[in-house]
Amino acid sequence: MTSRIFKNRLFAVILALIAALHLCAAQDIQMGSLIGESLSKLQQDPTPEAYRNCVAELKRIDAMCPESAAPKYYIALQSLNFAVMNPHADQTEGLIAEAEQAISRMEELPDADPSDICTLKGFLYMVRIVQDPARNGRRYYLDVMDYYEKALKHNPDNQLARQLQQKFFEGMAEKQ
Amino acid sequence: MKHFLTTFFLTLAALCPAFAQTQINGTVSDAQGPLIGVNVFVVGTLDGSITDSLGRFSFKTPRTGELTLRAVLLGYEEYSRTADASQLRGLEIRLREKAASLDEVVVTASTYSIGKSNQIKTLDALDVVMAGNSCGDVVAALQVLPGTQKVGEDGKLYVRGGESEECQTFVNGMHVLVPYSTNVEGQSQRGRFSPFLFKGMSFSLGGYGGEYGQALSSVLPMETTDVASSDKLGVSASLVDWNVGGTKAFEHSSLSFNAALTSLGLYTKLFPDRCDWTHPYRKLSGEAQYKWDLSANSVLKTYAGYDWTTVGLRTEGRSLSMNEHNLYANATLRTRFGAGWTLFAGVAESAVFSDIDDALIAGDHYHNSRNEVHLKAELQRRFSPQFKMSAGVEGYLRDSDKSYEETGYRLDYRLLGAHVDAQLRIVPRLFLNLSARGEQVSYSREWLLMPRATLSFVPSTRFQASVMAGRYSQTPEDDYIARGLRRIRQSTADHLILSMQYSTTKTLLRIEPYYKWYHHLPLLSGGVYTADGYGYSRGFDVYLENSSLVDNLIVTAAYSFNDSQRLYLDYDVPRTPEYASRHNLRLTAKYTVGKFILGLAETYASGRVFAAGTTPCYNSLDANLTWLAHPKVIVYASLNNLLGRTNVYRIHPDGSQVAATRDRFFYIGVFVSLKNNKAYDISNF
Repeated sequence: MTSRIFKNRLFAVILALIAALHLCAAQDIQMGSLIGESLSKLQQDPTPEAYRNCVAELKRIDAMCPESAAPKYYIALQSLNFAVMNPHADQTEGLIAEAEQAISRMEELPDADPSDICTLKGFLYMVRIVQDPARNGRRYYLDVMDYYEKALKHNPDNQLARQLQQKFFEGMAEKQ
Repeated sequence: MKHFLTTFFLTLAALCPAFAQTQINGTVSDAQGPLIGVNVFVVGTLDGSITDSLGRFSFKTPRTGELTLRAVLLGYEEYSRTADASQLRGLEIRLREKAASLDEVVVTASTYSIGKSNQIKTLDALDVVMAGNSCGDVVAALQVLPGTQKVGEDGKLYVRGGESEECQTFVNGMHVLVPYSTNVEGQSQRGRFSPFLFKGMSFSLGGYGGEYGQALSSVLPMETTDVASSDKLGVSASLVDWNVGGTKAFEHSSLSFNAALTSLGLYTKLFPDRCDWTHPYRKLSGEAQYKWDLSANSVLKTYAGYDWTTVGLRTEGRSLSMNEHNLYANATLRTRFGAGWTLFAGVAESAVFSDIDDALIAGDHYHNSRNEVHLKAELQRRFSPQFKMSAGVEGYLRDSDKSYEETGYRLDYRLLGAHVDAQLRIVPRLFLNLSARGEQVSYSREWLLMPRATLSFVPSTRFQASVMAGRYSQTPEDDYIARGLRRIRQSTADHLILSMQYSTTKTLLRIEPYYKWYHHLPLLSGGVYTADGYGYSRGFDVYLENSSLVDNLIVTAAYSFNDSQRLYLDYDVPRTPEYASRHNLRLTAKYTVGKFILGLAETYASGRVFAAGTTPCYNSLDANLTWLAHPKVIVYASLNNLLGRTNVYRIHPDGSQVAATRDRFFYIGVFVSLKNNKAYDISNF
């Protein structure tokens, strides 16, 4: 259903940029610059290999700042970006598991943004739909929409949630 | 020469950092061989690499001196080594598989989870609506699962050789006294809750923990949906029911309502059955919910539902007329605080008033009112990833009033309960759940202590095996307490269950042999009920779900074998209870093509033994079709018992048979969302 949403990688890069703008303002400058450095490498060469390297680098940054939500947010986001573009690759399930773990670790942090958490959860279900639209489409589409709605309720300026929600609606419209 | 020296030193200066870089390399493996995708890096830097298909890694770092190298891979213990940079070459790193924590393992033994409360999911609300013969009834939909038995004359849940009363329903952890709406014999009694109320159900066929009491055989805990994030308004109509409902979402809360009229009047006129109705089945119901996110860690949920059911029938020279009011309300608060603490508190009220005219003979009158208040508080604490505990107390305040002509009784009593549950990981892959439940019932002043334990071996995400043992209790029905001179003990059942499950993304196979010993069942002796009854129930269940045969096709097969005997009620000798059938088989198939979903279900149950004979086997082939006509409109149609077989439910002592009042049942309904930003969402909650 939503596989067409991610027919080009440009959109995923745009997502990363939107997310970077969204988060860097609120995070430690040094960590932000490390994250930015890692993401910029990805933007220059958004191959599956580059995604895996980017996630690995983000986990190194996370090891430096275990109490910070930002690296976990990006680990989840980039893992899901990879998964949505490569829904049946060998590494996809592993990266989805990374994303799930990163999200649940974010939930344990008192200062993690609930809007970001909802966005990632919505994206996670969206990935599951892309992986198996026939089986997971009807099962998870309400969760996707619920989480994006909640994300925007928590923070109406969450551009990533808005973009993902819009893409999801477009995917649904195409299907219909 | 001067120019040459300048060039030489400049070049040397430029190369110095390169020379200062230290090469770090090696391999990473586990017991099975090389590991791919391991993230190996110097802690505090971005310097690192990922292992290749042969487990090799290699990278350079400008750091010198002592540094810490780390290797991480999801599912494995983290590796760290602190050493001088020069010593970090040619490393052979061996990672050990990480033992799953309690939070990562979901023990599914004897439980079928519906919705998203669990990783193993078999049905969601739409599946319930579209199940072959359910017509939107949760109870009927659950009967595709193994362990349940087909008892057509009342349609209730009978689990693993137990009475329907032995299965208890809980909404948000709070008990529901009467989860069915009433009906006359031969007509299925539907569950009174809409499947769309709930985000998850965990149907446990036995071996449950200490939290749940007053259920000898099984429990059906259901969790209502969370605070809605957007407004909804929807209507639905069919030949038998009409529904309107909606939700108003606020910033941190939501208010929902639902009103429904179910009437078989029109349907009976169009498709007459074998009964002579004075007024066919009619139910008027209303529900309201208010849910409030008090904070990020606290949620308050309230629910209130009311049903008014009437039905009238001419039978055996009299005009039987039934009238029932069923009220249920609850309020629960769940809050997380401190380091891993969760507090739950709840209160529920159930009140049911039943009146029947011409109940047994013309001109008589039967009245029964039952009331229950359920109070509950529980504290949970996660001490570590390997150890969790919970403890709680609860109280049931019950009263009932029954009269038939000159006879009757008034009954009221209290039941206090407390439980402690501990979940721990003994060693990697081996989990133990220990619990104890204590109960005291006021009318007999009897104390009961019931230990329960589940030992689970979870070697991988695909396979798990559990053995469960425990004691369960339940007060006898009010009639037996009243006629037991209020001294009758609680009935108890000892469960021993072995569960084995294999699951992949497209296949689920579960096999569960079980044995239940019943003690202190109510037994009529000298006109008084005693607790001298006993019995057993043994058998095995097999469940298979697969979605890999053909694209868009999901098939399930559920088979249950049951052998049970008991001496209870007015039995003279131990024998198989009348509701129990030895073999039960359900086969379902659901195929999606475009905007259509086609479902088929076959239900078979072997004959049931009555004093006057054995019924023929039960057999019904059902079909349904769902059409996703528009994002705001869903059309659903079903035809039960395609082959038109006349199924016999009971044989009376005089040899007369009770059969289904109609052989086939046709349903067609339209569900319309008038206000909802979600396509194909026909839930009003």
